[in-house]
Amino acid sequence: MTLTGMKKHVGVLEQAGLATTEKVGRVRTCKIGPRRLEEETAWIERYRQLWDARFAELDKVVEEFKRKEKVHGRKKRE
Amino acid sequence: MDARRESEATPMKNRTTVERKSEREIVVTRTFNGPARIVFEAWTKPELFKQWWVPKSMGMFLRSCEMDVRVGGRYRLVFGHDASNPDEFFGRYIEVTPHSRLVWTNDEGGDGGPVTTVTFEEKGGTTLLVMHELYPSKEALDAAGTGAADAMGETFEQLDALLVTLGASVGQS
Repeated sequence: MTLTGMKKHVGVLEQAGLATTEKVGRVRTCKIGPRRLEEETAWIERYRQLWDARFAELDKVVEEFKRKEKVHGRKKRE
Repeated sequence: MDARRESEATPMKNRTTVERKSEREIVVTRTFNGPARIVFEAWTKPELFKQWWVPKSMGMFLRSCEMDVRVGGRYRLVFGHDASNPDEFFGRYIEVTPHSRLVWTNDEGGDGGPVTTVTFEEKGGTTLLVMHELYPSKEALDAAGTGAADAMGETFEQLDALLVTLGASVGQS
């Protein structure tokens, strides 16, 4: 395989997320394997956004609860 | 417009963090500006729980929410706009310590689903909430997180086969 062919080949793998490359000076190092770490970071961030949205709503529930308790005093137990 | 007004109504928004603690565990933490008593109620009283569990941005609709919050008691959440095609989540409470700790199973996927532990720790009028989800295996957590991304296959044999295919298609072009 020619160098150009190789570059193309690696480029396709990179686009498909099956390889990563890193250039340091004149040397480009290729690593084969899916982007596991990036994938994991992406789903963890999606998960975080879900919980962040939920908790923003929960903040409102807590504020409302505190406001009501202030109004009624703290007698309202149960 | 509406979203902006809503965010202004919540003056102090705390940070939500998510961390994969181990191959089988994921941990979510968040501080709330209120006592543990109130935060705990919001997790255990259906009428309060319904107000926050499904934020509008999720585009989902919580049809019903039943919670029998005591050891051995069951919960059931039913989602979906269409009653004939509901999406259900259910399980059983295995630990209930008022205002400090809740543990439940997630049984919708059959036996051996993840176990969720939520702790509420009060500090000077605020509450640190830690939600811990323990999956039966690394694979179960990976599948829950990345879903189809994992279907790409991990074995070198499969990757080799793919390389050959990709190599061939590049060679042709």
